[in-house]
Amino acid sequence: MTLDWGVVWQNRDALIKGTATTILLTFATMAIALPCGAVVAVLRLYAWKPIRGLATAYVEFFRNLPLILVVYWAFYVLPILTGFGVSPLLTGLAALALNVTAYNAETFRAGINSIRRGQVEAAMALGMSRVQALRRVVIPQALRRILPVLASTWVSLFKDTSLVSVIAVTELAYVSMQVRAQTFRVLEMLTAMAIIYWLLGYPQAKLVDWIQRRYAVTE
Amino acid sequence: MIAENNSGGRAKGTGATIIRYRGVVKRYGAFTALDGVFLNVHAGEVVCLIGPSGSGKSTLLRCTNGLESIEGGDIEFEGTMLPRDERALRAVRQRMGMVFQSFELFPHLTAQQNVSEGPRTVLQMNQADANQRAAALLDKVGLADKAPNYPSALSGGQQQRVAIARALAMNPDVMLFDEPTSALDPETIGEVLSVMKKLADEGMTMVVVTHEMSFARRVGDWVAVFDAGRIVEQGPPRQIFDAPTTERTRDFLSHLGWSG
Amino acid sequence: MEFDFAVITDHARFLASGVGVSLLLAVLSGATSLATGFIVALLRLYGPPWLKPAVVLYIDSMRAIPVLVVLVWTFFALPIVTGLTMPPFFAALLGLTIHLAAYAAEIVRAGIESVRPGQTRAALALGMSRSQILLRIVLPQAIVRMLPAFGSLLSITIKDTAIASVIAVPELMRQSETVAGQSFQPIEVYTFAMLVYFAMLFPVTRGVDLFYRRVAHLGRS
Repeated sequence: MTLDWGVVWQNRDALIKGTATTILLTFATMAIALPCGAVVAVLRLYAWKPIRGLATAYVEFFRNLPLILVVYWAFYVLPILTGFGVSPLLTGLAALALNVTAYNAETFRAGINSIRRGQVEAAMALGMSRVQALRRVVIPQALRRILPVLASTWVSLFKDTSLVSVIAVTELAYVSMQVRAQTFRVLEMLTAMAIIYWLLGYPQAKLVDWIQRRYAVTE
Repeated sequence: MIAENNSGGRAKGTGATIIRYRGVVKRYGAFTALDGVFLNVHAGEVVCLIGPSGSGKSTLLRCTNGLESIEGGDIEFEGTMLPRDERALRAVRQRMGMVFQSFELFPHLTAQQNVSEGPRTVLQMNQADANQRAAALLDKVGLADKAPNYPSALSGGQQQRVAIARALAMNPDVMLFDEPTSALDPETIGEVLSVMKKLADEGMTMVVVTHEMSFARRVGDWVAVFDAGRIVEQGPPRQIFDAPTTERTRDFLSHLGWSG
Repeated sequence: MEFDFAVITDHARFLASGVGVSLLLAVLSGATSLATGFIVALLRLYGPPWLKPAVVLYIDSMRAIPVLVVLVWTFFALPIVTGLTMPPFFAALLGLTIHLAAYAAEIVRAGIESVRPGQTRAALALGMSRSQILLRIVLPQAIVRMLPAFGSLLSITIKDTAIASVIAVPELMRQSETVAGQSFQPIEVYTFAMLVYFAMLFPVTRGVDLFYRRVAHLGRS
């Protein structure tokens, strides 16, 4: 078995671009899924009953589906829904956003629900309005519980971006496997891919641990 | 330093010394929890440890059966030094029952199984004998009908009585009580104290950390007052409660609103 | 635009075999991950000190690398290292286990550490040995506490089996791709696959939830 690790260096430009796409996808997805998740959570908690049901159904459905299937599904359905061709990158982004929005909505809802009723009652007993109580008492406390969960969702999302490689989004996984196919340097390229993911993901995982320790709620 | 006590007025002071604490020192980092404690516990005696929170009473109890190691002095149990070796320590622990402030019943076991667990796993007793012993002890603490219940279905007072039965199941020579009524609702404190009183009347040697001054006075044979890791005064309850000889004891009792 | 779901009934057997493989892979990799996770967690907590950094490195690495990457590496690259080729199903089982065992280990560790130290003290006071305490007092409670997390791990396992399609394991995702490609009716096929996955996953989530509520008191000290 002869190994040629030079292949990794020769294809550095493609790998760097792929890595950039992976990072871009992670940020873009979260940028969409945070506000959307918050809206869905609020709809689920406070909206008119049928809307509430719809929001719940959306959250439960997408939390109970493999993401890779959502990616394929979006790839075929989006062009029909929108009437024009959608680039793989946007399709991947849409699939990831649909998925992560559902998870974030559940995180927000659970966070708000975790604050004991007595807290709202105590705030209202001080003369605060319901909105004031939510803004000044419930949300600051809920954030402490929400942040650690969001942090681990973030790392999951970072890893899940690899799944959009199946619809030829040129992110890190796709690029690595392309180069592998062109050069037949299987072990080298797949190992390089794993190492790049590790280099990016490991500090993130450690950061999550730190956030979870920092915000650990003890009652 | 408080002299080793051999003072008069110790009703059961004639029995053999079961536990002897000699200059016990316990530190947690820079904090000194026990700062040279001297105390003797005689057979058949009820020794009550009182004093403000954080004064070292519970720490002394946990050092007694080696749940905490000590940094200085020594603890003698039935004439031999408390061993450091884990295996030997286990043998000593079998002869000391312990009751915790927070009960610490095993939630995955029924009341009966909680009591038979020690005899089964530690004493290797067969199932039938262990069950029989458990049933008898639950009856003794007035909970025969609760044998099949899980702890989650018992009140605090009931849980603590099961915990006493669990400790008794090992046939201990001495019982250590760590604030056994502090976590209880006022209305269930009485049922636990009366079980303890019954044990005392049967001649069980007991070391009790407690905030129940009336119990210490009524049931205790000997009372030690802790403050800042030391025993500031010890003597028969009548002396401690009616004629305390130190300022610290008087302070402590007056904070509790004790009026004699 | 018209939808024709006859494509599903036409390929019912083929798709059903995919469901079978998905479930088999999920159950097997769930079991092996759990067993491995227990061993890894016990090594991390009670193993020799020199082993601990390696265990922590393994767990954190798996939290950092996508499961797709682990699966692809196991199937394509590992045989080059070992010289042994593996059938896709076995490679998927191995890859999923390597990945998920790390998560299982974290669940087990958190469960064990969540049992109050007072429980250990109470057992020590009875004269029990360390191993007796772990097996008879701590683990039974910890396992009850781990149930919700094991439930979500099982649902993650089922979802991750779909990724095994990229190494050609003939599970539901892969079979759906095949049918979609042959029939040119991807929307019908993938929508159907969504419903099937949901039908497999939702009961797991709910079932574990209900079961946990019934036994939660056994782990609450």
